[in-house]
Amino acid sequence: MHYPWWYVPALTAPMLIAVISVLHVLVSHYAVGGGLFLAVEVGYAYRTGNNALLRYLRSHAWFFVLITVVYGAITGVGIWWTIGLASPLPTELLIHTFVFGWAIEYVFFVIEIAAAFAFYYYWGRLPPRTHRAIGWLYAGAAWISLVLITAITAFMLNPGRWPVSGGFWTAFLNPQFLPQVLARTGGALLLASLYVYLHAAVKAPPELRTLLGARSARPALLGSLLILAGGALWYVFLPSSAKAALEAASVLNILMLLIFALTAVVFVMLYLGPYRNPGWVTTGFAILFFVLGTAAFTTGEYIREAVRKPYVVYNVVMSNGIYPPEVSHLRSVGYLEGGTWTKAYVAARYPAMLDAAGRIDPSRFPALSASDRAALGRVLFQYHCNACHAVTGFSGIRALTRGWTEPMLRDVVEHPEQVRFFMPPWAGTKAEAGLLVEYLTSIAPPVPPGMRYDGTEGER
Amino acid sequence: MTPLDPGQLVGPASPLGSPAPFWFLELFKVLGFTLHQVPMHLWYAGLPLAALLSLLPGEPARRLRGRLLTAMPLVVAVGINLGVIPLLFTQVAYHRVFYPAGVLMAWPWFSVIVLLTVAYYAVYLGALGERALWRPRLARRAVLAAALLFPAIGFIFANYFSLMTRVEAWAGLAARTDAAGAVTGLALNTADPTLPPRWLMLFGLALITAAVYISVDTALISRPERAGDGRFAARTAALAATVGVALFAAAGWWYTGAMRADIPPVWLGLAGGLPAVTWGLVLLQRRGATRRAAITAALVQFLALGANAAARQWVQNMELAPYLDAAAEPVRVEWSPLILFLVLFVIGLAVVAWIVAQVLAVHRPQPTPQSNPGRS
Repeated sequence: MHYPWWYVPALTAPMLIAVISVLHVLVSHYAVGGGLFLAVEVGYAYRTGNNALLRYLRSHAWFFVLITVVYGAITGVGIWWTIGLASPLPTELLIHTFVFGWAIEYVFFVIEIAAAFAFYYYWGRLPPRTHRAIGWLYAGAAWISLVLITAITAFMLNPGRWPVSGGFWTAFLNPQFLPQVLARTGGALLLASLYVYLHAAVKAPPELRTLLGARSARPALLGSLLILAGGALWYVFLPSSAKAALEAASVLNILMLLIFALTAVVFVMLYLGPYRNPGWVTTGFAILFFVLGTAAFTTGEYIREAVRKPYVVYNVVMSNGIYPPEVSHLRSVGYLEGGTWTKAYVAARYPAMLDAAGRIDPSRFPALSASDRAALGRVLFQYHCNACHAVTGFSGIRALTRGWTEPMLRDVVEHPEQVRFFMPPWAGTKAEAGLLVEYLTSIAPPVPPGMRYDGTEGER
Repeated sequence: MTPLDPGQLVGPASPLGSPAPFWFLELFKVLGFTLHQVPMHLWYAGLPLAALLSLLPGEPARRLRGRLLTAMPLVVAVGINLGVIPLLFTQVAYHRVFYPAGVLMAWPWFSVIVLLTVAYYAVYLGALGERALWRPRLARRAVLAAALLFPAIGFIFANYFSLMTRVEAWAGLAARTDAAGAVTGLALNTADPTLPPRWLMLFGLALITAAVYISVDTALISRPERAGDGRFAARTAALAATVGVALFAAAGWWYTGAMRADIPPVWLGLAGGLPAVTWGLVLLQRRGATRRAAITAALVQFLALGANAAARQWVQNMELAPYLDAAAEPVRVEWSPLILFLVLFVIGLAVVAWIVAQVLAVHRPQPTPQSNPGRS
């Protein structure tokens, strides 16, 4: 509410964060696990004098650099770019809390870049010992960057004592920190193996494919165990509201079922395939394995984001950019008056709504035409609701309110958190709620024609 | 519509307070931007130079182009990461103006992710072409695409950072891109008279930095054995620096004229004077780069970039003064993460220096090269 709101038709601005984040995590975990894979396998190849493996690893390192250093790095910065546009106030809060965490992360990124380029471009020119050391430097720096960024995402889900005591370390070492570090480290190991199988299926000769299948199976299984342990702890340390959301939201029910099913299939394929029968790693197997694994990852990321509602940071800032302590103040002075940009908008467009002291006077709303009242209601919708609801599209409000009567709309608008506990409370005056109801009434379509309730056709 | 007091659109300070003293944020913002400018200038000026070199006949031109392009993937990677640090500290110290400006031009700013991805892969294709791993004709087109995309990204950045300080333009842009009180995010700050000269000054300075890089590469890194290559590189560097200093001076003159009248151009004199010294040092090497002259030119240009970053910061604060005094924001210093960052920053530099030393050691003559089967 302190910043202008970016209207993204159909999708909503915060959903852009989800899109970029999913595109990023599928590569960022590989950037960590793949670095470990290269460090371990290059050491093994040097030790055993396996020249064929070294040649393969070099081609894998090229693939790795192209994917992680370019796409991974840009989408990583892209998430940060997008959160500042789609959720500026929560970003402001995160930046003020974790600026040094992020700054340290970028120190490690610079080490990663230097190490990755030296590792690949000086392959065969660096002494093996130095080459291995640089590989491990990359792997270590990449894992530390995973730990740092995980602390921030974990903080958003459960900041622990931070809202009371504050401080960087309280925020960093939040209750979700260890579970998510375990799960993400496991995810990095597992996802790296999926990338290795995919790449090896296309680029490696059959005997190497078998060797790589067998050697990558153990870290992948270790990764699977870490995911299970981290996932269990993640659930244990979820705030009650997030656990309740997992039960209450039907989409989350389905996604939880999906993630269990996908994870089980991936684990079984891993055990029966690369672990027990490394020769099974054919191109088709690798593609199927990769698709299922990335689908599980994507589902997990979506669930992780969705269970936080109505908060971006649990109990600290809500998805519509309101700090919970501001709610009572906004209910008293009005949302339009309390918002920096809404106030400026009303002052510019509807100066007659301002009293002598320059404040928005809700008692003047009835003097507006019906269309102007609905227009102001739409302003309230943009700032108060559009973070989660498009008009038409993602979680579209028209579809959700189809057939609702005005009293129903009023009830939901005035007490959204009582209707759905994962919605933020109304943060405006009753008069403003009336404006929003007028807007929603003007766009809510009737019950689909032809429906019958108790023998009467369901027209509103 | 009633005219607005522009200051009304600047929201409140963060209730958390700044986690570091203002001077610290400013110092790292300026230092970070100075470091970021080096690779940024190399891609802004280096890619168009490489594209132009492909039009020239002769082996020296081809080899200089090859040296520029094969270094470019690393240059871009380092540049992107070094750019994040100043952006981080900008968000802390100037969040009240940074986010509104970003939201107003959200789509152009968001498009940077896509443009940068395409440009970066195009750079790789160009580099692959130089190593005969990609079709040369397509590689040349990729270089041309990257040479056009990076300035487009620069244009968006110049828009953003000029809009950040031009609070008086926000209400008008919001009204033009209104979506029921929200904004469509399609605004650009093109009505700002300082925007074109800012953008052109960047190119002028970038050409000088690229010229210095060519001198340093010729004298210290690639050290081409053929005398013709060294002479060609030195002449190209001298020409690039001359065009660069002329462009920088002309755009600087334009910029000072377009700036608000109450901002005295004192600092700009220093920021504008140092590139002229670099130009002189590059010109001295026009018959062939020497180690000492190349290092001196690099040091002076680095100072010039630092002075440029400091001058920009000073102007930014002056432009924002009517709306925001970032130095007066509440502060609640988080000492332990701050110190940890400084310690790790130094360790990180040491680690990178060690990696660079290992790489440079490879370029020294080895009496008995070690066998390594992974080499192709």
